[in-house]
Amino acid sequence: MTAVTTRLESTVLATEDGISDLTDRVLAFLEEQGVEARPTHHAALVLSEVLTNLGTHGGCRDQPARVAMTVEPDQVTGEIVDRGPPFDPRLAPAPALDLAADDRPIGGLGLYLVRKLSCALEYQRRGDENCTTFAIKRGTASNNGTSA
Amino acid sequence: MEIHDERIGDTCVVTAKGRLDGGASTAFADRIGALIASSKPKLLIDFAEVDFVTSAGLRAVLVLVKKIKAADGSFALCSVQESVREVLDITGFAGMLKIHAARAEAIAAMSE
Repeated sequence: MTAVTTRLESTVLATEDGISDLTDRVLAFLEEQGVEARPTHHAALVLSEVLTNLGTHGGCRDQPARVAMTVEPDQVTGEIVDRGPPFDPRLAPAPALDLAADDRPIGGLGLYLVRKLSCALEYQRRGDENCTTFAIKRGTASNNGTSA
Repeated sequence: MEIHDERIGDTCVVTAKGRLDGGASTAFADRIGALIASSKPKLLIDFAEVDFVTSAGLRAVLVLVKKIKAADGSFALCSVQESVREVLDITGFAGMLKIHAARAEAIAAMSE
């Protein structure tokens, strides 16, 4: 017997409004599918952070990215395909987390969250497109992040 | 995001509701920043109805914390939802900020 999966597919511009609208749809979709609150939150957050990075650092706000979210029995997976410059989110430097507030730099946390919240994170450059995939474990226990 | 503020004793208590993301973070920092213009400000943000915080939202919180530290004030969060708390833990914010389980407890601690 094959396990049942459901999938949401969309395109989105990596702008604040585009990402916010997509977050609404992803949260609603995952809740409709009965995904627990924690993986629902984390899947939407990881998707939002990858797209925010594409818009702010990749400078790619004018060409829509293709996104898909798939609900599986034990995990939620996401896929983002974009035409930004080559960028592997797994290789972004880790921020300094142990500094006092006065010394902490502003920023640098988005991709760190992507890595820590995902139980799997993959990247491929395919022609002139980036393909980033991630997985969030279902249930209430914490994920083991993919790297520091 | 909805933001409501009130003064309880000498503490400015802000109740936020909704998503603290890239679209809301600038208005969040500006609106609350205007409330803490005094010297030695005390600011409590109640996160009970904040259900989603991105790195842009964390950046806005850090901007406020730095401003308050510079004015020799104090800052705390309370009633943080579980998923948001995990984000604060992962990013080191939980170790950097005072986070109280409930509003009453936070106000009592900030009044000492």
